[in-house]
Amino acid sequence: MLWPGLTDPVHDSQRLFRQILQAMSEPGTLHNLDLDAPPEVAPIGAALWGALLTLCDLDTRVWIARELDTPALREALSFHTGCRLADDPASADFAVVTPTTLHTEIAFATGSDEYPDRSTTLLVSLDSLNDQGPWQISGPGIPERRWLDVGDGEALMGCLARNHTQFPRGLDALLACDARLTAIPRSSRIEKCLKEDRSCMSQ
Amino acid sequence: MNGYNFAYLDEQTKRMIRRALLKAVAIPGYQVPFGGREMPMPYGWGTGGMQLTASILGSDDVLKVIDQGADDTTNAVSIRAFFQRVAGVETTTATTSASVIQTRHRIPEAALSHGQILVFQVPIPEPLRFIEPSEQETRLMHALEEYGVMHVKLYEDIARYGHIATTYAYPVKVDDRYVMDPSPIPKFDNPKLHMNEALMLFGAGREKRLYAIPPYTRVESLDFEDHPFEIQAWDECCALCGSETSYLDEVITDDAGNRMFVCSDTDYCMTRRGEVA
Repeated sequence: MLWPGLTDPVHDSQRLFRQILQAMSEPGTLHNLDLDAPPEVAPIGAALWGALLTLCDLDTRVWIARELDTPALREALSFHTGCRLADDPASADFAVVTPTTLHTEIAFATGSDEYPDRSTTLLVSLDSLNDQGPWQISGPGIPERRWLDVGDGEALMGCLARNHTQFPRGLDALLACDARLTAIPRSSRIEKCLKEDRSCMSQ
Repeated sequence: MNGYNFAYLDEQTKRMIRRALLKAVAIPGYQVPFGGREMPMPYGWGTGGMQLTASILGSDDVLKVIDQGADDTTNAVSIRAFFQRVAGVETTTATTSASVIQTRHRIPEAALSHGQILVFQVPIPEPLRFIEPSEQETRLMHALEEYGVMHVKLYEDIARYGHIATTYAYPVKVDDRYVMDPSPIPKFDNPKLHMNEALMLFGAGREKRLYAIPPYTRVESLDFEDHPFEIQAWDECCALCGSETSYLDEVITDDAGNRMFVCSDTDYCMTRRGEVA
């Protein structure tokens, strides 16, 4: 079965982009992306599919983690966006991953000191995503602090927190569960708050 | 309008600018290079701002365009007409009812609110350009956070005039990392950059650079402990609305030396006059 594209490519991608832009500029806020979801069996949900349709075209290279890599996803991506699929994560503009992928160190592009923008954007597929949780984020775009629950997020948040220490180089991440999406750019500071004593441990 | 894509730019160009915008927002104050396109007007008229506006604009947006605070000057009127024509969007002059505001050289007096996007037209995005002409060198200076020379420039003002004489395009530091040119806004507007609720995007068409300040971001104007940053102040108030807190333009009224001071933000002034009347 062919995956659905955007019904109205011009206005739908504009609408989705504005939501993604708002997510990226206000890290930790949740946004519901409204579009036709890929089939039930698809390894990614509607929000990540929407982000791929909105941001990818023949100028972009996409790297897909092994656990999400299906012929259907590859075919749908090539058909709808024309993007190239990358074998080398260091050459990828976007990488579609899960928190499990990040248990092993993968050499994504983090840009250079002169050109930190030449870096991979992670598109992370999550099993759960809520705005109440143990992960506290602060920094640009956040009035004081926001909290996130990303399910089993030790490896993911550890990776993103380490990432912040290299600022301005680093990875930016769009996190999504079904139609819900949030973002953690490299500028965000991440801490884990333990419920019992409310003290924060810096990652 | 027939023959053009919605909002003039083709979809591939919009996606390229959108990807660059996401990086700009993720690295506040850093100048992201982008493949700037030719726009149907000359460089220097806001082609950078227009490309950003075209890439973010949707059919349900309400657009406001200002030039030096005014809605009714040539640049503002023609850009507003352009987007009315190529995107069919609703336009307004009221700061509070606009969702996207493209601006040349001012930040509106009325406080911006959460969800609004302010798009600046930027002539020269590199704050270090007049000190170091080489792009390679300025890139390296940003990479190494080597900003001492900027303070030397401000100090030279103090040595010569007794105070910091830079009055517009006053350099700022964003989230304690990148020194950024806030575009030629008067330094009067600099404090509005700090922790603003609106998203601020900057586009330079000729130089093909874009950068951003996300909402709620710390933005400091560079200064010295013994010469703290100060904004302009006037002895007069606005001759039309009587405002004592807005940025004033001096208008020569005849050839006998008579002059008056009026608000540069026309919407703010008109709104106040409506309230006063």
